[in-house]
Amino acid sequence: MKGNKAKLFGVMAVLLVGAGLLQRTAIYPSWKKNFAPRQQGLSSDLSPDQLLVAMAGFRELIAGILWVRADSFFDTGNYDAILPIIRLVTWLDPKQIDVYSTGMWHIAYNFTDEEQRSDRRYVPPALALGKEGAENNPHTYEMFFETGWLWYHKIDDDHQKAVNWFQQALERKDIDFIAARKNLLSNALQRNGQVREALDFYLKLLADAEKVYEKDPSFGNQQNRDTIENNIDTMLVRMSQRGWFATQLGYRDQGEYDIDPPFDVGFSAQVTVEDPMVLRIRGSWNVQPVGSRIRFILRDSDFPNAVPGGMEWDKTDSVSLDPPKNITYVQDGLFVRNRRFDRKIDMSRDKTMYPCTKPDYVIEFFYNPRSAPPHIQDKFGWNGEGMTDKNFLNTEIRPGSRVIFATLKLTRDQLLRRGEWIDRVPVVQTPNYVPPKRLKDEPRMIAVPSTRAETAGGPNEPAPELAPSK
Amino acid sequence: MRVILSIASTTVGEAIRRRVLLIILLIGVLFLAVAPGLTVLSARQERTVLIGMTLGIIQLTSAVIAIVLTVYMIPNEIERRTIYTILCKPVQRWQFLVGKYLGAVAALGLMMALMTIVLVLVFALQQGVQQMDQLVLLAKAPAMFFVQMSLLAAVAIFFSTFVSPLVNFFLSGGLYLVGSLFNSFFEVISSNPNSPALAKGFATFANTILPNFANYNVQNPIINPGQIIENESIYYVRVTIYGLLYIGILLVGGIVIFDRREV
Repeated sequence: MKGNKAKLFGVMAVLLVGAGLLQRTAIYPSWKKNFAPRQQGLSSDLSPDQLLVAMAGFRELIAGILWVRADSFFDTGNYDAILPIIRLVTWLDPKQIDVYSTGMWHIAYNFTDEEQRSDRRYVPPALALGKEGAENNPHTYEMFFETGWLWYHKIDDDHQKAVNWFQQALERKDIDFIAARKNLLSNALQRNGQVREALDFYLKLLADAEKVYEKDPSFGNQQNRDTIENNIDTMLVRMSQRGWFATQLGYRDQGEYDIDPPFDVGFSAQVTVEDPMVLRIRGSWNVQPVGSRIRFILRDSDFPNAVPGGMEWDKTDSVSLDPPKNITYVQDGLFVRNRRFDRKIDMSRDKTMYPCTKPDYVIEFFYNPRSAPPHIQDKFGWNGEGMTDKNFLNTEIRPGSRVIFATLKLTRDQLLRRGEWIDRVPVVQTPNYVPPKRLKDEPRMIAVPSTRAETAGGPNEPAPELAPSK
Repeated sequence: MRVILSIASTTVGEAIRRRVLLIILLIGVLFLAVAPGLTVLSARQERTVLIGMTLGIIQLTSAVIAIVLTVYMIPNEIERRTIYTILCKPVQRWQFLVGKYLGAVAALGLMMALMTIVLVLVFALQQGVQQMDQLVLLAKAPAMFFVQMSLLAAVAIFFSTFVSPLVNFFLSGGLYLVGSLFNSFFEVISSNPNSPALAKGFATFANTILPNFANYNVQNPIINPGQIIENESIYYVRVTIYGLLYIGILLVGGIVIFDRREV
């Protein structure tokens, strides 16, 4: 028996080595690649009990139940509680596209301060979630479209990214069922300065829509075709009036176009720290029609991945539900009315969102005509050809586009009204700042004159009034 | 071989007559039948939830059956002294152990086949019989679960040669749970740069040496058909070989221990 036992142990050892080798060299790599619940690897955000639940079977059912539970948190406004559910559900069932898209929107939009200003520190993880959703669901257009939309609408910068995501969405067949969503690529191309490509894309959509209408002359297909036609008409008019054709064909100097001569927006700004963490931002913007929003940013001077007028939003692949607590980034739009802006930004009630732990801060003012509404673009052009500013025009920070960019600096002591600033009111301003005067006869109704240079005055001149209606 | 087959066939008969197993099986089948009613829990994901849930039911029920079936096998024979009537005949102990194991696996196979038939029927009723290819695809996961449960049965029969049934129940159940988490835990630890070297080493050792049940959790591509699997058949063959190797280790280990045990 002794000899037999030794043989049996030998057999066991051989089998064990064989099984171990098979597991390490062949099975595990293949399992990880093809069968792991989440192909990118497990999230370290999941607690052991969540892991246990995940591996105990019924993953998809649990994911469904959890998402139903999350719905009740949405109803009660308990947004923080939704975050771990989003993460857990997408891990349990990476094919839940609704959870990815709703989660991405929730993370990017719904974490706001007391003034409904969203916490932009959440945008990179929201983008990472969108990217993960697209990677896990490459067969459908949905997450590609949703991620593109986040770039287009929420970030509204680096428009090439929106174009790329929309283009990837269009490569998926199922987008054909929702024709209207395709149009957005043309808008993104325009914001990216690719006017010709935007028109070409509309023309392609029209050709497709006509074919579909011929096959099935239903009301919906007719409407889709007519909408694209209308978009093309509008675009051709804009291309003509904004001198795009003339520039391309080399006769710009022979005619008058809406973008000529470039209009000086006369930007100036002043930032006053009225109370600790309470800013008053005033300034001039010599554009009478409503619709201008100047981007205002206050950030740590050493904010990671910062770029002029924004940040590199997609620098992370980590869907962190808890952005770094020690960094400050405030972004808002300064609405221009009657050629000036005057805005109070109160950060004092949101210490978590605005920790202000760094000694130095940068204030940025940024205006990119590519994001402007069409009636402003009619004067400024797609790339700011019809816009200038003798102090703050910048043609470098956004290649291909003429933008307005100005910076100011604040210290932590100034922001928190500490030290020498307890009794003194910190005021920082651009060198050209002149307080815009409120005019006695300033019309209550906002006048909408042409933005042509000869009719638009400086910030202190009265705006031309509309003719009284009969 | 005839001796082994004879013990195996007797074991199958015994297993089928055991009420506790039949009750577990019945509960599993009932759950499978009512599963389509729970798909409302996930909008736009009804099919996904249904497949995930039914496969989960099969897996969980099979695991309970596999453990309950095998933990009592050897101890009951010893307790009732029926083992004497077998071992006094020209039957070697190893033949007895292997016969018992094969009988348990056959009984398990029958029960799992029944559940798979119910699963396919539920889908055929809900989705229509025209999607036969998908129904065949659906049966792939239970086939892998069968290998997984055969491995679990081998674990339980190995432990049953030297521990009591109650201890064996928790030991086998625990090892199954841990074995199902190995790949995921290993993934977490190995991909985390902050993990201590000792933890990484231990995870690698455990993932290499201990029986890995997670290899057989192949539901993902079945639940989500959009997922593309590379060399799928090769993977199935490999994990089946892995299972057979490990079953061999456990049976040999069981034989060595059982051979020395006084009955």
